[in-house]
Order: sequence, then structure tokens, then C-alpha cells
Amino acid sequence: MSHEQSLVYIVDDDSSVRESIESLVCSVGHAARLFSSTRDFFVAERPNVPSCLVLDVRFPGPSGLEFQRHLTESEIEIPVVFVTGHGDIAMSVTAMKAGAIEFLTKPFRDQDLLDAVHRGIELDRARRANTSKFVELRGLYDTLTPREREVMELVVAGQLNKQIAAHLDLSEVTVKVHRAQVMHKMHAKSLPDLVRRADMISAYSRND
Amino acid sequence: MRGRAAGGGSYREFRGKLKGEIPDLISTSPATRVERRLANLLLAALAGALLVTIPFAKILLPTTETLLPAYAAGVILVELITSVLLLTLYAIARSPAVLILAGGYLFTAILIVPWLLTFPGMSDLISINDAGEQSTAWIAALRRLGFPVFAIVYGLLRRRQTETERTHRSAMRVILGFVAAITVAAAVPTWVAIAFSDELPQLMIDERTVSALWSYVPATALVLYVVGIALLSRRQISVLDLWLIVALCTLCIEVVLLAYFSASRLSVGWWAGRLYGLVSASIVLIVLLSETMTLYSRLIRSGLAEQQARFSHLAMMEALSASIAHEVNQPLASMVTNAGAGLRWLDKATPNIDETRAALNRISSDGHRAAEVVKNIREVFKNGTGERVPLNLNRLIGRVIQCNRKETRLKRISVNVKLDEHLPQILGNPVQLEQVISNLVLNAIDAMSAVSGRKRVLQVTTALQTDGNVLVSIEDSGIGLDSVERGRIFEPYYTTKPQGMGVGLTFCQSIIEAHGGRLWLADAEAGGAIFNFALPGAEYDGASVARLR
Repeated sequence: MSHEQSLVYIVDDDSSVRESIESLVCSVGHAARLFSSTRDFFVAERPNVPSCLVLDVRFPGPSGLEFQRHLTESEIEIPVVFVTGHGDIAMSVTAMKAGAIEFLTKPFRDQDLLDAVHRGIELDRARRANTSKFVELRGLYDTLTPREREVMELVVAGQLNKQIAAHLDLSEVTVKVHRAQVMHKMHAKSLPDLVRRADMISAYSRND
Repeated sequence: MRGRAAGGGSYREFRGKLKGEIPDLISTSPATRVERRLANLLLAALAGALLVTIPFAKILLPTTETLLPAYAAGVILVELITSVLLLTLYAIARSPAVLILAGGYLFTAILIVPWLLTFPGMSDLISINDAGEQSTAWIAALRRLGFPVFAIVYGLLRRRQTETERTHRSAMRVILGFVAAITVAAAVPTWVAIAFSDELPQLMIDERTVSALWSYVPATALVLYVVGIALLSRRQISVLDLWLIVALCTLCIEVVLLAYFSASRLSVGWWAGRLYGLVSASIVLIVLLSETMTLYSRLIRSGLAEQQARFSHLAMMEALSASIAHEVNQPLASMVTNAGAGLRWLDKATPNIDETRAALNRISSDGHRAAEVVKNIREVFKNGTGERVPLNLNRLIGRVIQCNRKETRLKRISVNVKLDEHLPQILGNPVQLEQVISNLVLNAIDAMSAVSGRKRVLQVTTALQTDGNVLVSIEDSGIGLDSVERGRIFEPYYTTKPQGMGVGLTFCQSIIEAHGGRLWLADAEAGGAIFNFALPGAEYDGASVARLR
């Protein structure tokens, strides 16, 4: 497992808890950033690396759970590991439903926290990989002309060249040229590859 | 006391507690002013009814003997139920006087049966041999004279309720034996009156007319009633005494009507006398029933209050333990995590001594922090002072009295509040001070519910002292405290109540002292206890507010 360029954000109002977690995650090679409040974390600049948030549930002001909601609403995607002084089942259910990685009760076993942090970072890494792939594909797609996009749409829908030509009122030769252009521009090695790429673009575009 | 509460031991001990917890029995709790007034009103109404009846008393109502069975059924039911309720009361209070009174009601209830059956006209229906108007008259005389005798014995015995008389024989056996004895006592003379009616002196000349000998019966009865009333009116009277007096007075009216104003049997006066007899029999029953309902509702209320207290106590403990858990868990979590981190730094291929040292240092400081948390919690409990505001103690007292109104009414405690209207305000925490007043008032109520045979007065007084302090006195008319209790009453975990925790007064004292005041105990003239506390009066300048905060 590679820990290069992974970052753990630790948000806890208790400085000694903060520092102990920092030391723990650093001892296994993560970098750590400490914040005493959710607000500080929210306004801080966050490097674009796989990361994970270790968040205390109990805060003066809005609780960690509310902050988790706030993050989702602000479209800040970061895996959250909750730690709490006293957790009840309802609280942990709420947190897990909202997508938390883990809900740990203080005092927790150090291995449990590290496992949760690793899992969070791996998730974030995977998400980032997907996102960057999409950004790349989207860039390729943007180089297509409107006519090429029309052709691509029909190709991935499974239509034959002859049908596409009839549909778009073009000659079959012209369709073939457009099609070759699409394959080239989208860096697709085969028709199934093109279909996969088109799916990914449409899936992410829908999310936007 | 603590040991007793913890011991939970023998049946006798349990009974002792039981006795302590239900002292407000109708036979022991003193009659209140309202009840006396009610009794007087009832007597006045009956006397009025007597006067109204007299002019018509001599009118005869022939053939009304058909109504007699209904009358007799009413009387027998009322008297039997009264007797059963009194026997139940005896089973709880174990007072011989109550047992005797129950016997009186049982005696008259039993005698009404032969009286009815031998009544001229009735005896023909069921044909009791030998029974004649003489038998009826003799049985009537027995009833008439028997009841006041029981009442007089009750009046003589009612104060002599001591521990030695509180036999450990089972109440059931005593009651059964007593009921059997009363039955025999009623049956034997009845048999004599029926079987030897001819040999007995003549009380009746014919079915409707009485002989000269009969005139001694109402006179003797009247004397006995008056003796009974006089005996019962001696010293302080209990609720039961009061209504028994009323019942005897009603019986007096009945006798006067029957003997001196009605012409003969089955006249208006005679029937009115019968009705008064029924009223008289019902009075004690009604009082007993209402008392039973009061006891029952009190039982429910105390059960609910206990439950509520337990819940609020639990809720408080839960909130408290959650907050303590959080405070202590923080340093604990930090220590455990630091230890884990330290071990990992050491386990590296090249152990990182600096990081390990830093982790160990943090563990050390966390340990100190945890100790600090524990110390703080103890501090909070030692004297939770909280915010101080200018406040009027009279208003707090009014609120506490209002809150406990039901309690004092149920326990027949009269509340006497003497508040100084010009009392200066004091600086204090209203919640805490209300708690103190409430604690002291509840203590006073508890102290009085265990006593019988004296007035129950809760007196709350406020006054401005010459030194500018505000004095609050809460006085009860209980039995006060003995020298041992006096010495230890403010000690933590010392209690005189079976269910007490022994923290109430300690709590009050620490709050009053935290407010710069003093709480002390004094003797009441009447023999109860007075708890006084004095708090410094507040000047209305901001400086003193700030200083006290």
C-alpha cells in the first residue's frame, strides 16, 4: 500500500486527542493536518491528494454529524471517520447512513482507527482516479465536432453505418470517415472500448 | 435510621415501619376545625328536624309496619359494614378501643334481626313461638342500652394504646374470637327475651302501649349517651371520636323523639326516631368510607410521587454520568492513542526515539488532566454555586407552600405562613434556594406525619434581623429531635427516615453556606423542631452583585 501523497485531516476540539491521533497516523506514514474546529477545516485550502477526515462528533456549536451533512451539501467529497466520547446506536446509524467510513467510540483501539483511515484513503484514491479518468475523457469528447458527436451517439447505440447514413441523411462513406475520426479522437481501441468510454461520460455528466 | 433501612429484617421491624408510615388513621389523627364545623352543622340540622317533627309526632301511621323490614335491612347493612371497616382499622392500628367500637356496631346489627322478627305483626308471618311484644321491647332495650356501653368503653380505652397492648397475636385470630364473643353476647339475651318473655318484667302493656318500667329505658339510654359524649369530648378528639360524638347526639335525639314525643309505635314521631337512628348509624360509616378513599388516593399519589422521584433521579444520574464519561474519556482516548503511536514509532526499522518521547510526554500530561477532571467534578458537587440574582424569599416560600398544598391537606396539617412584607431582597440562586426551602418544608411535613394526638401545624416565618440578615424559620409541631439526632442531623448520610439517604440537610447547609448564610436548628415551644436559616440581605448596587458572583 502506498502512502505517498495521502493526507489525514484531524478535526477535534481537544488538542491532546488531536496530537495523539496525528502521531499515530504519522507513525504509519500518512501526513496529517490538524484543525480545532469544523469551520477551520472548511475554510482551509485542501491539497488535491487522497485524503480522509477524522472527525469528533461532539463539538460546541454544530455537531460533527451536522458538519458531515454540510460537507455533502457543499459537494466536498471526503471519507469521514467519526470518533466520539459517547456514542449511541442512533448516532452511529445516522453517521453510517450518511456515508461515514467508521464510527469509533473513545477510547478506541489504535489499529481500528488506522484501518478506518486506510480504508478511507483508498476509497478517496479510487474516487479520485475515476474522477480524473472522467476529466480526461470529457476533454477528448470536447474535441469532437457536433456531427461526430451525433455519429458517436448512434454508433454506441448499436446502429450500422448504413442506418446511421439514412438517419443523418449522409452517404455511407462520410459516416465511415466520421466514425474513424471518433475512434481516433476518443482514443478508443475497439467498438466495445468506445461504448465503455461513452457510458462513463454519460454517467458522470448525469451526476453533474 | 440507616442501619434499620439497610437491615430490612424481621416482620416486627416491618410492622414498626408500617406503623410509622401510616400514622394518619381516622382513629388517631386529630379532627380539623373544618370537620368540627361540619359536625356542628349536621347536629344543628338534626336538632332542627327534631323541632319540625315534634308537632306531628303523635299522628299514627297504621299498617306502616310493612316498611319495617326495609328499615331493618338498611340498619343491618350500614352497621355491619361499619363494623367490618372498624375491624379492618383494628387490624392496622391494633387499637383495642377500635375493636370495642366495632363490637358495638356488630352487637346492634345482630340484635336488629330478632327485633324485627319478634315485632308484633312480623312474628305472625314467621311464627316464632312464645315471641310477643315483651320480647321485642326487651331486645329494643338491649340494643338501645348496649351501644352506648360499647361507646363508653371505647371512650375509656382510646388513649390507652401502648406497645404492650399491641399484642403479637395475629389480628385475624383476635378479630374472629371477638366476633364470636359478640355474637354470643347478643344471642344469649335474645334467647332469654324470647324464651322467658312471660317471666320477665312487663315492658309493654299491649302492642302499642309501654308500661311504666319502660320509661327507665330511654332515661338510662340518655344518661349513657351523655356519659359517652362527655368521655369522648375529653382532651383532643380524633376524627373518629368527633363523628362518634355526632352519632351519639343523633341517638339522643332519636330517644327523645321515641320516648317523649311519639305517642306510640308506628306514629310519625316513632318513624322519625327510626330515621335518625339510621342517620346515626350511617355517619360513622360515611366517615370511614371517605377516609378509606382518602387513604387509597394517598397511596396512589405516594406511589406515583415515588416513581417520579426515582425517574428524575435516574435521569439526573444518567446526564451526570454521560458528562463525566465524556470528560474522562477524552484524556483516556488520548492516552491510549498516544501509547499505540509510541509503540509504532518504536517498532520501526529505525526506532524514532523523539516521537516516542513526545508520545510518552503526552500520556503523562493526559494522566494529570484526567486527575484534574475528577477533582473538578468533586468541586462541582461540593458547592455548585451558579448564578446569583436578586430575589424575594417570600415569593419562593409561597411557591413551595403552593407546591405542597395537596400534601399538607391530605396529612391534615394546617399551614401558618407569617411573611414580613418589607423583607429586603437577597442575592442568590433561585433554583437552589427553592430546593433548600422545599427540603426543609418536606422534612417538617414528614416529622409531623409520624405523630398523633397533637395538632399538626407547619409554620413558616420570614423576618428582617437587626444585622440586616433575612431570617427564614420553618417550624413543625412534631416530636422534635433527641440529643443524639441533634448532634448528628447535619452529618452527611445521617438520616432519621427509613427511606432517607441522609443528604438533604447536608445539601441545604452547603447551599446556604455557599450563599454566605447559616442554617441551624432550634427547639419549638410546642415541642417540634425549627430550622432557621439566615442570608445576607442585598444592597441594590452593582458592586455587591459583582462581588457575590
